Amino acid sequence: MKKKSLKLSNLYLLLVFFLLYAPILYLIFYSFNEGGTMNEFTGFTWEHYGAVFEDTRLIRIALDTLRIALLSSLFATTIGTLGAIGIYFVRKYKAQQALLSMNNILLVSPDVIIGASFLILFTVVGFRLGFLSVLLSHIAFSIPIVVLMVLPKLQEMNDAMITAARDLGANSWQVLTKIILPSITPGILAGFFMAFTYSLDDFAVTFFVTGNGFSTLSVEIYSRARQGVSLEINALSTLLFLVALFLVIGYYFIQRNQQSKKLLTKNQARVVSTR
Amino acid sequence: MSQAIIEFKEVTKKYGEETVLKNINFSIEKGLFYTLLGPSGCGKSTILNIIAGFTDTTQGEVKLNQKSAENLPPNKRKINTVFQDYALFPHMNVFENVAFGLKIKKMDKNKVKEKVKEALRMVQLENYETREIVEMSGGQRQRVAIARALINEPDVLLLDEPLSALDLKLRTDMQYELRELQQRLGITFIYVTHDQEEALAMSDEIFVMKAGEIVQSGTPVDIYDEPINRYVADFIGESNILKGQMVEDYRVAFGGNVFECVDGGMKPEEVVDVAIRPEDLVLVPENKGCINVKIDTQLFRGVHYEIIAYDAEGNEWMVHSTHKAEVGKQVALQFESYDMHIMRIGETEKEFDERIEAYTEEGNR
Repeated sequence: MKKKSLKLSNLYLLLVFFLLYAPILYLIFYSFNEGGTMNEFTGFTWEHYGAVFEDTRLIRIALDTLRIALLSSLFATTIGTLGAIGIYFVRKYKAQQALLSMNNILLVSPDVIIGASFLILFTVVGFRLGFLSVLLSHIAFSIPIVVLMVLPKLQEMNDAMITAARDLGANSWQVLTKIILPSITPGILAGFFMAFTYSLDDFAVTFFVTGNGFSTLSVEIYSRARQGVSLEINALSTLLFLVALFLVIGYYFIQRNQQSKKLLTKNQARVVSTR
Repeated sequence: MSQAIIEFKEVTKKYGEETVLKNINFSIEKGLFYTLLGPSGCGKSTILNIIAGFTDTTQGEVKLNQKSAENLPPNKRKINTVFQDYALFPHMNVFENVAFGLKIKKMDKNKVKEKVKEALRMVQLENYETREIVEMSGGQRQRVAIARALINEPDVLLLDEPLSALDLKLRTDMQYELRELQQRLGITFIYVTHDQEEALAMSDEIFVMKAGEIVQSGTPVDIYDEPINRYVADFIGESNILKGQMVEDYRVAFGGNVFECVDGGMKPEEVVDVAIRPEDLVLVPENKGCINVKIDTQLFRGVHYEIIAYDAEGNEWMVHSTHKAEVGKQVALQFESYDMHIMRIGETEKEFDERIEAYTEEGNR
């Protein structure tokens, strides 16, 4: 009886995952199609991948996207970490909650609204749309993510450590660099990864604030897909999917590393207590 | 008399409406072991925080080495702290933890190595340098915390209930070690605890605290033998405390009898508390002692039997005896006049000292 129900639930899970991954697999499958369309598989070819690597415009855009992602996540991580530390040390509980809520509102508000408001802001101020405008908006929407990843690590931290460091003669800067930052490094890394992936695949905000002559991959794929189906896009999407996969695997290993460290700590604590 | 290195003058501390410390006065001399003793929430940790510089005062003056400590940040004070939960840095190993204070001062690397080695030897943790904090047991972490605090060569070491997380055996061992360490280094220790046994065992001087005030201060023997009121008598050790009435100086009535005692200076007919330590009571056959009692219960405590008995008036008596008693039996309690300690109700420490001085002078005449 139990075995049967287990099988059913497994089957259900398989179905769900099949439905989720089917479009992507379909897309990847046809990226190797010799024929120019997705109607019929006529034969295997690498030709679309070749086309991607020959398309200098596309490669430039891919590099731009990476540049934006890397820069924006670096800036956002720095600003967001300092922001989280700031929020953590706000003494009044109400003020702290208010600040945190304002952070969360940015996180849940629709990208379209954020994008549109950035567009309005940039045009009102007279800022030229392009690389900088995209970078600035990416930094802006990544900061709340970083804050949210870093804050729990701060709350996990033992405050007495800060008192102890000051007691031993450390000034505020030394407390920050030698005690607080090392304690919250996992949170900072997680925040960086999240900000990086968010920036990499952002479409809505970027779509609003890119000007002429500058584009990111998501916007480029969108506009090319509208012009007509080319299997080059399939090839490009496959490559992007692989990048995302690697990112997820990388993040998984970082987390597993930390968890095994924690587990180690727990085990040792147990050994100590049974001694 | 050596100079006071810490002085509190009429120090008051309020958190909002709540007064945590009320008019605290004391001075701390170099090289002694002080204990702030009191139940949790009595303000003893607040005093520690004020000394360390983590908390400011609402009123009053704090002097360190005869200079006002106002606006002197913690890192400018020659005072270090051992925290209750040790507050070790988990991302550093033992060496880095202990060396932290010196590295902050940018001391030469070889010198740091030497000093850390010495500090670890002092707390009997030689060759533990490369261990991670998570690999250490509670007692070892405690030692690391002490070494880390001592490496800065402070004038005063503050210890905030440092032994409370350890088991009983380890706690007793550490009491000896702390006392020994303090005497060897000659550094002033200020120790905060709610454990009266710890306080009695280690201190040169104890400050007994209650609800933000210092109730009594003195050597462990003074405080144990001459508690000024019911609170101190009850908090320090076990006590039988009975209501009594002074007949005249050196004569007190309680339990239906009048006894010779060694206390005086009260008004005639004054109602007082009479305290007798359970270990001062001796069980003797009925009608052969001072008060007849009936034995109610008996507990074996290892070192002694703890016997609870009731007298004819219904007062409860606790007796510590190495001899077994028989439950339900009528016996008598024997005690001497100097076993009785008489306390005036509501007397402050100052009045207590003045009275003791006055009547001993009178007695000497």
